[in-house]
Amino acid sequence: MKIDHTQPLEYSTEQNQLNILGFWIFLGAEIMLFATLFASYFIYENRVGNGPSGGEIFEITPVLIETFVLLTSSFTIGLAINAMRLKRTKAMLVFLGITLLLGLGFLSVEIYEFMHYYHVGATLQTSAFTAILLTTLGTHGAHVTLGLFWGLFIMIQIKRRGLTPATANKSFIFSLYWHFLDVVWIFIFSFIYLKGMM
Amino acid sequence: MKELFPIKQVNGFVFSLLLTIVALSVYFFDMSFQLGMTILLVTAFIQAGVQLIIFMHAGESEDKGTIYTSTIYGVVIALFTVFGSLLAMVWGYM
Amino acid sequence: MEFFERFAVPHPSPLIYASMVAIGLVIIAIIAGVSYFKKWGYLWNEWLTTTDHKRIGIMYIISALLMLFRGGADAVMMRLQTSVPDNTFLDAQHYNEVFTTHGVVMIFFMAMAFVIGLMNFVVPLQIGARDVAFPRLNAISFWLYFAGAMLFNISFVIGGSPDAGWTNYYPLASNDFSTSVGVNYYNWALQISGIGTLMTGINFIATIIKMRAPGMTLMKMPMFTWSALITNAIIVFAFPVLTIAIIMGTLDRQFGTHFFASTNGGMDMMWANLFWVWGHPEVYILILPAFGIYSEIIATFSQRNLYGYKSMVGSMVIISLLSFLVWVHHFFTMGQDALTNSIFSITTMAIAVPTGIKIFNWLLTMWKGKIHFTVPMLYSVAFIPLFTIGGVTGVMLGVASADYQYHNTMFLVAHFHNTIIPGVVFAMLAGLTYWWPKMFGFMLNEKIGKWAFWFLTIGFCFSFFPMYITGLDGQARRMFTYSEATGFGPLNMLSFFGAGLMAIGFVIIVYNIYYSFRYSPRNVGDDPWNARSLEWATHNPVPEYNFAVLPQVESSEAFWDYKKKGHKLFPDSIKKIHMPNNSGLPIIMSGLFFIFGFSFVFYIWAGVIISAIGIFACMAYRSFEKDDGRYISAEEIKETEDKFGGAGQ
Repeated sequence: MKIDHTQPLEYSTEQNQLNILGFWIFLGAEIMLFATLFASYFIYENRVGNGPSGGEIFEITPVLIETFVLLTSSFTIGLAINAMRLKRTKAMLVFLGITLLLGLGFLSVEIYEFMHYYHVGATLQTSAFTAILLTTLGTHGAHVTLGLFWGLFIMIQIKRRGLTPATANKSFIFSLYWHFLDVVWIFIFSFIYLKGMM
Repeated sequence: MKELFPIKQVNGFVFSLLLTIVALSVYFFDMSFQLGMTILLVTAFIQAGVQLIIFMHAGESEDKGTIYTSTIYGVVIALFTVFGSLLAMVWGYM
Repeated sequence: MEFFERFAVPHPSPLIYASMVAIGLVIIAIIAGVSYFKKWGYLWNEWLTTTDHKRIGIMYIISALLMLFRGGADAVMMRLQTSVPDNTFLDAQHYNEVFTTHGVVMIFFMAMAFVIGLMNFVVPLQIGARDVAFPRLNAISFWLYFAGAMLFNISFVIGGSPDAGWTNYYPLASNDFSTSVGVNYYNWALQISGIGTLMTGINFIATIIKMRAPGMTLMKMPMFTWSALITNAIIVFAFPVLTIAIIMGTLDRQFGTHFFASTNGGMDMMWANLFWVWGHPEVYILILPAFGIYSEIIATFSQRNLYGYKSMVGSMVIISLLSFLVWVHHFFTMGQDALTNSIFSITTMAIAVPTGIKIFNWLLTMWKGKIHFTVPMLYSVAFIPLFTIGGVTGVMLGVASADYQYHNTMFLVAHFHNTIIPGVVFAMLAGLTYWWPKMFGFMLNEKIGKWAFWFLTIGFCFSFFPMYITGLDGQARRMFTYSEATGFGPLNMLSFFGAGLMAIGFVIIVYNIYYSFRYSPRNVGDDPWNARSLEWATHNPVPEYNFAVLPQVESSEAFWDYKKKGHKLFPDSIKKIHMPNNSGLPIIMSGLFFIFGFSFVFYIWAGVIISAIGIFACMAYRSFEKDDGRYISAEEIKETEDKFGGAGQ
């Protein structure tokens, strides 16, 4: 492996640059994945059958908590990458840890939210609207869950191996993933919740 | 300590919080559907741009051309898909 | 025993029992054969765990050929069933299963695999790279495709085939009307192989963008590489749509949601919408690489450079965008208003413009060229008029108001086979013949190849041209039989005759492979066709590192420059080369995916959970694994190069 020291660690080998570019292309695919969900959501939005509509079951408080928690986690992972570029391994691990804790917090609120939907009678089987709502939220939530494990593995590797071109590369790619999930949430927040409660 | 909180990212964070609060106005104030949707569309896409450029460093490497092309291409096709599907399945469906 | 009852075939027939026996015997024969010749180690080390793009490409092509015969057998059965009125060879249910598996196998497991196989083999060579960007991911892509294909193919002996057409429209595909597990198979097989395809897309974009030889700017790439780049871009943006559509279908069938039902707010046409948002770009995923192959072959055998390089590239870029804007033309008759239909009618017809530009470019390449009618060139020359007929009938179908007459008739069937067979299948056969010496170091026999070509082309015309007529007369597609009074009989018999000719053509191709393997001379040199692009600048067969020295490129026809203009292709000296290691992880992970899919099809939750844990364990293992690859030393490379007669040319 040739290491180019003029570049930040995460870009320092050819393979690292390929990995980052490849992940960006993957995010392009993720855009389409969520766009398909949104397209379906908009089409099913008013097709509630005998079930409740969005305005009847959405609650602003958990949604606000989720939004601010995820926004903050997106900020802290940005700080983690900044610390990584300053070679401040410890600070980086702290920021990464905070990010994952915030992610966990987000997930807990989302689970609460799902339980709330269950209690008010909005399950997967209720109507096309509830099904697409839960599928869209669930797909995002599954991404966050996967991200928690992925981030944890990266933290362990940095702890064991230090900041190497490989671990820095993984951390940077993970940060892209996490920011992307935040962007998706912004769209969910705006076009599912706020539009529904407007 | 200061170097751990670069001004660019702090500003980005504050800005994204502001955008969220602006978006929230559609919930707290009574307004027409058109105005509400306009606010949501504007804030959501600016918010996405903030993440992309400030936090995701989309433009920092030599591959930025490819990165922007693939992202913009993805967004354009995503919009075609969303609005085309709405056209076929809702607006134009008799 | 109740547990095992679910695996029974719900609608058995002697044909299916015979297939069961045949499958069992083939598996036993393979295991026995490999054991007898003590080849397990060779198979595992050299093929099953390989990350070499050339070997992965060859495995794709072998699988695609196998699937071609599976799908081809289905096709012959269909034509046999409809060859005479009121035939009882197949009943309605079997006919449904046969046309469903024919479509799915041919599109997903034959054409896609063939296209990706050729891309795998050729693209890194054409751009002067050592491998693809992510060799391990490439192996995972192949094995996921393979797992999906196998999962789909066991459906007809375990639990029952899908029977709702390759388009799998709801409500027909719902539990109410497709009561066997067949559609579950459809969902999981396509989901698993679709993930593999998406990864291929990402892999090849990164490869083509970042790993080109020094001097090869984007506008100096060979045309097949350009087509591969555009194709993979379409893959990346189209396949996620299929992923979501299939998830929704799976939720409907296995978790009781109402996405595509007609109650509780569901909307059955929504499946059609999502399916075709993916499905129409898919058409171009298949045809664009074919265009690329024809461009290479026509330039080579006309002995001149490709006419209109820039317009070729431009038209492909436009096609890639337009391909996402036309999907509604697949259901003009759904009931949307005239304005919506008109919009999609216009975008549909617009696609004919860039395609037409390409046709003229090929014609103008041949104009004043010194044409050599080799087998690949024969396929390419036949492609142009036949594909044009397919394209023109496509524009006819694109006229929304007229489509009410053609919709779901044999006219449509004739149209899309008229684009896919001369377009894609001929291109794959042409490409396979063209690059065969690069893959295996000997050439396929030209004379036998020409026999196969004529059987296929004439057989094609006999099979599908009659369908245009019966379609306009009102014969619906997917009808398992018809009465004598309809008068469709003679033309359908003609179709069956054509299908027979095509079957003979494919058998001749197999014989050709056998014959050439036995008798073809092995000293064909590195450039048997007098070709133009970079893949011919390395040895036959290609050493694992592809190029001992990275080539230096100045035009899209670097090898031609080297041969005719004294361009120095390999200016550097031999240095050590970094190569990826083999890995058993991809095949193990895909095996787990297979178990996951199979368990899900039959609601065996223990299997689902265990295999899911296994898949995540593989991913975790990969995350912690340290694998920096290995180096081939300069001495070793010199030794290999000397065996080929001269280092770096």
